Amino acid sequence: METILETRGLTKVYRADGVATPALRGMDLAIGKGDFVSIMGPSGCGKSTLLYLMGLLDTPTEGTVIVAGTDTRGLSDGGRTRLRRAHIGFVFQRFNLLPTLSAEDNVALVLRLRGLPVGSAPREMLAAVGLEEKRRRRPNQLSVGEQQRVAIARALVTRPTLLLADEPTGNLDSEASGRVMELILRFHRDLGQTVVLITHNEQVAARAGRLVRMRDGKLV
Amino acid sequence: MLPLSNILARKVRTAISALAIGVGVALFLVLVGLTSILREIADRATNVDAHIMVMPSGGPALLLGGGLPADKIEARLRAIPGVSAAIPVLCWSLNMAGRDQNAFGIRPEDWRFFAAPDRIVEGRPLAGGMEMLVDTRLAAAGNLKLGDAVERLGRTFTIVGIAREGVAGRVFVPIDALNECLQNDTRRATFFYVKATGPEAVEPVRKAVEDLRLKAFTLDEYYSRLANLMGDMHLVIGAVVVVAGFVCFLVILLTVYTMVVERTREIGILKGIGASRLQIFGLVMAEAGLILAGGILVGFAMTVGSRAIILHFQPLWTIEIPAIRFVYAALLATGGTLLGALHPAIKAASQDPVESLRYE
Repeated sequence: METILETRGLTKVYRADGVATPALRGMDLAIGKGDFVSIMGPSGCGKSTLLYLMGLLDTPTEGTVIVAGTDTRGLSDGGRTRLRRAHIGFVFQRFNLLPTLSAEDNVALVLRLRGLPVGSAPREMLAAVGLEEKRRRRPNQLSVGEQQRVAIARALVTRPTLLLADEPTGNLDSEASGRVMELILRFHRDLGQTVVLITHNEQVAARAGRLVRMRDGKLV
Repeated sequence: MLPLSNILARKVRTAISALAIGVGVALFLVLVGLTSILREIADRATNVDAHIMVMPSGGPALLLGGGLPADKIEARLRAIPGVSAAIPVLCWSLNMAGRDQNAFGIRPEDWRFFAAPDRIVEGRPLAGGMEMLVDTRLAAAGNLKLGDAVERLGRTFTIVGIAREGVAGRVFVPIDALNECLQNDTRRATFFYVKATGPEAVEPVRKAVEDLRLKAFTLDEYYSRLANLMGDMHLVIGAVVVVAGFVCFLVILLTVYTMVVERTREIGILKGIGASRLQIFGLVMAEAGLILAGGILVGFAMTVGSRAIILHFQPLWTIEIPAIRFVYAALLATGGTLLGALHPAIKAASQDPVESLRYE
């Protein structure tokens, strides 16, 4: 199977006031195209750090991330941005919608930032997550479950090769959580979307095709 | 889309910021416009068909009173080769339309040196006696009409003519009438305008006048002397430019910096969904630009309003604001804004996305 994302010896050490705190310790992980991978582990084990490194939002202290065959070691900020735009969609735990924009504009913004034509894609994407009727509402006029569905629509509107989701159901009740997972699974199944999902929830993790566990910055 | 929605989401702060920029713009336009008062006076004083001004030796640049024996000096001036005309003027301060005005006492037959015939928009030039001629600005400010009786210096003057503004004085009266009011036994003059027979005669005439122990300036020199009085005004203008630019700079710096700090997390989101540093920089600058545009419009409106209010209470003041100065004001505000927004925009563009996303 084609590997879409690979980490090699990935190490991240945070330094504050002269104190070094390792978050990742030489992690090797390969994710094939079309995989659905759940990453589980206790709080502070480095899950989110790993996701930010895989999403090219952060740079490792050592090691490298290879995205769609491109080794990102030494890549400039602009190069990382281009690669992220081309291949990666993010869903954050706290939805992270822009509060001053409507649901539709939040989705459209991703296309605009990439210089892509907007057209009806945001509306269609919102329809796909069941929110077409509420597309003109701002985030504060939506429930938390609806906000997360908008965030999923925003992450997928550019049809990224890889969807990185950081505890997407972490702030949702069981019903909303179930709907969000159904959506992610549907996109994975119907579009062959590669998904890397961080979760604390065993039930959520169990729905992935592959489960990876972490502890103290390493795979276990 | 995003810059507009962001500034509209913070309406009060946007309005206050635009208002502050507007104050800077209006401050520049109105205060610089007010400095045109002196230039307007200089323009008027030299708007005479003559070449030289003759004053008592040692007199100040702006004169009042009858320091010169008019007939005697006129005879001496006329005797100088190259002099075509010697025009005595007696200046005295008259309170008109609530302000002291320099009334020009002139011989009625000398009016032709002060204005072409078509400059009289109502009535006629002075003929003699207790007559008064005013310009259109003073007529409008003092609500003066033809035939109005004006009590001044213990006498009653009748307004016989109204001249289009731009003539040397706002008030003209016959020199003999003014001398009579001032109880001068003989005809006195404050200064003379001297017309030479041609441009080549101006310098020899000036030298000859100085030989009479009188002070003589060409009208160009006189204009320059008045313009030198404006020297301090240029300092004022410079200070106003700096203050106005600094106001814009500070307002935008504080506003945009606050916006960037408040939206640290949003900047992280934007980077997460694919925004480049340049796009983040552009977004911040676009928001500053929108506030600037609003501020400039507010400033222009405040300028027009302030000018109207000032002229309502001080109708004889001149506040010239040519269209090009609005462009300068906009450029000044833009410069201050760009400088003010630059640091916050660079800070936003270089923010670490991970730290931004973790920002509470």
